[in-house]
Amino acid sequence: MSDQAAIVVKGLGKRYRLGLARGRHDTMIDLIAARTRDLFRGSKEREEANGQEHFWALRDANFTINRGENVGIIGLNGAGKSTLLKMLSRITYPTEGSAEINGRLGALLEVGTGFHPELTGRENIFLYGAILGMSKAEIVRKFDSIVEFAEIPKFIDTPVKRYSSGMYVRLAFSVAAHLDPEILLLDEVLAVGDLPFQRKCMEFAKSLQAKDATILFVSHNMFSIKNMCERVIYLKKGQIQYDGSVEEGIARYEKDGQLGKLSWGRKDAPENWPIFLERFELLDEQGAERAVFDFGERVRMRLHFEVRESLRNPNVIVLFERSDGVACCNFSSVADGLSLDGVSGGTVAVELLTPPLKLVSELYSIQVIVRENGYQDVLCAQMASSFHVRHELYDMHFGVFHESGTWARGKGQAVPVVKERLYEAQ
Amino acid sequence: MSDSIHSEIQSSSSIQIRPSRGLLDLELGAVWRYRELLYFLVLREIKVRYRQAVLGVAWAVIQPLFAVVVFTVIFGHFAKFPSDGVPYAVFAFAATLPWAYFAEATQRSANGLVTDASLVSKVYFPRLILPLAMVAAPLVDFLCAFVVFLGVLAWYGISPTLNLVFLPVLLFIAMMLALAIGLLLAPINVRFRDVRHTLPFIIQIWMYASPIVYPLSMVPEQWRGLYSLNPMVGVIEGFRWVLLGTEHPDFVSMAISMVIIAAALFAGLVYFKKHERAFADII
Repeated sequence: MSDQAAIVVKGLGKRYRLGLARGRHDTMIDLIAARTRDLFRGSKEREEANGQEHFWALRDANFTINRGENVGIIGLNGAGKSTLLKMLSRITYPTEGSAEINGRLGALLEVGTGFHPELTGRENIFLYGAILGMSKAEIVRKFDSIVEFAEIPKFIDTPVKRYSSGMYVRLAFSVAAHLDPEILLLDEVLAVGDLPFQRKCMEFAKSLQAKDATILFVSHNMFSIKNMCERVIYLKKGQIQYDGSVEEGIARYEKDGQLGKLSWGRKDAPENWPIFLERFELLDEQGAERAVFDFGERVRMRLHFEVRESLRNPNVIVLFERSDGVACCNFSSVADGLSLDGVSGGTVAVELLTPPLKLVSELYSIQVIVRENGYQDVLCAQMASSFHVRHELYDMHFGVFHESGTWARGKGQAVPVVKERLYEAQ
Repeated sequence: MSDSIHSEIQSSSSIQIRPSRGLLDLELGAVWRYRELLYFLVLREIKVRYRQAVLGVAWAVIQPLFAVVVFTVIFGHFAKFPSDGVPYAVFAFAATLPWAYFAEATQRSANGLVTDASLVSKVYFPRLILPLAMVAAPLVDFLCAFVVFLGVLAWYGISPTLNLVFLPVLLFIAMMLALAIGLLLAPINVRFRDVRHTLPFIIQIWMYASPIVYPLSMVPEQWRGLYSLNPMVGVIEGFRWVLLGTEHPDFVSMAISMVIIAAALFAGLVYFKKHERAFADII
């Protein structure tokens, strides 16, 4: 048993009917109408119509996960990550292939599904515990520990609809955390709650690792992936694109995501945007291509835009976001005094040279946003690239950036005075 | 967190996930392993139903009581329907008890998957648990109404017969019928929400096709055989028989309808299991 693999996936695939997602027949009348249309269509036409209705959310997935391994699953939206987890947790079933799971399985695809708002915290602990597959005796045994972990002892007999969203999530996660699984499937659930609680969740995940649990973890957050996993499976359009080291997997994922649109930016298709980042160059001060910078180095970026409309005072913004989602700094053409007013039609290239980077040693993504007329409507929002900052000491424990201060030590009883010119406004 | 996990639910050490499964593999073992979830879901249904209502659980009694009052005024007082020699109010009440339970259990089990759609699409558990919980929960409403009924009975100076011991059997028949219908309709409901809107009509029509506001004796002799194939006829007549001491129901028709229920239940189970795997995809 102990040398058995935790998860063995062979040729796993799931096909969905597109009709289910789009224009599904929600009432019988619709179905009858569709079938009637089919009758009048030629058989070839019908086949064509039906052939287009299918798509593979995941296909031909093969992998083995050993006991105690922690594997991150990454990929863009719609790459098949959730489909994979849903199949492994038996919520949905494969169209082809098979999977074998050896060990007590816990799956958390969403925290708090099954909580009932009218029930009290206490009642929900039992209900949710049972939903996740715990026995009553087990919940009774762990009850105090669950309440303590969730930090809500005072509200345990209050209906959860009166809880703040933070309390709600804490309680739900706390129950789930006590499932004590041998194999844990996690879908982006650690990304909820406030920061201290997220930290707690990470600690919990680490404690599971220490117990030699197997964890399969879906996330868009490369920081959590790097922190928790020693192996990455990168899915792209329903296929396993890469299965191996975390660095390589993340690098490929990020390369594929380059110039992709940011989810929060604009709803319409990039083809219709008034301006579009076509090419992005990440260079060092001397103009050589680079992706790793030493602390204190300057970064040169060249942005090549295609301009499709006449733009009113466009503001090009370059944002550095740390891998844990903290927006660290941004450079704005308007704030820095570069006027791009009146650009229209054709291409325009912009270059930005940053001051010496004082950001701590981490992975950063570069996002490019163009806003109209200073800080108005978003015209374009894209993921440009990413880079690493290297420093042997200053990492995230030191905060976002590090700059040296000036210190002085007092002699005897004397008050120390730092002898330096007063900072003058520039 | 203790490490002492012994016999937990999912500890079935190996799970096989495959595209298809035998048609008759009903996986009732999994339902048994999840029996505590069934218990907690029933508890949830009971607790949530009347919470934050001023009259609370009194609603479980007010609803059937109100129906009985309406029936008594319209059919007993104005239309002057016969009532097998007992006061019309108790006559109607005795029939409303199993009918109210049956109607509620049927509708809730047919709608249960849709009501708990988020659960179905995000968590694994044997799906059969949901319709099972939904037919079990209204039993509490039944019990409340039953207590009130006993009070009404005492008021009229009628005492139930010793045949009362058969009451659980009759209730069980109604439960299995509701479950069978729920199992057959729930998968359709997942796909087509029409069920939700159609079912109340059907239940309404069914009610008038059952001897609730009128006695069986009003049904023309030559139709009575066919009429009694309605499994609820036996249940309702049975209730009157054990509670009010009227004529016992036709046991032959009851036997036939029990066979029908058993067949429908089996068909429902197979049908439900066949479609169960697609629930999360289409709900």
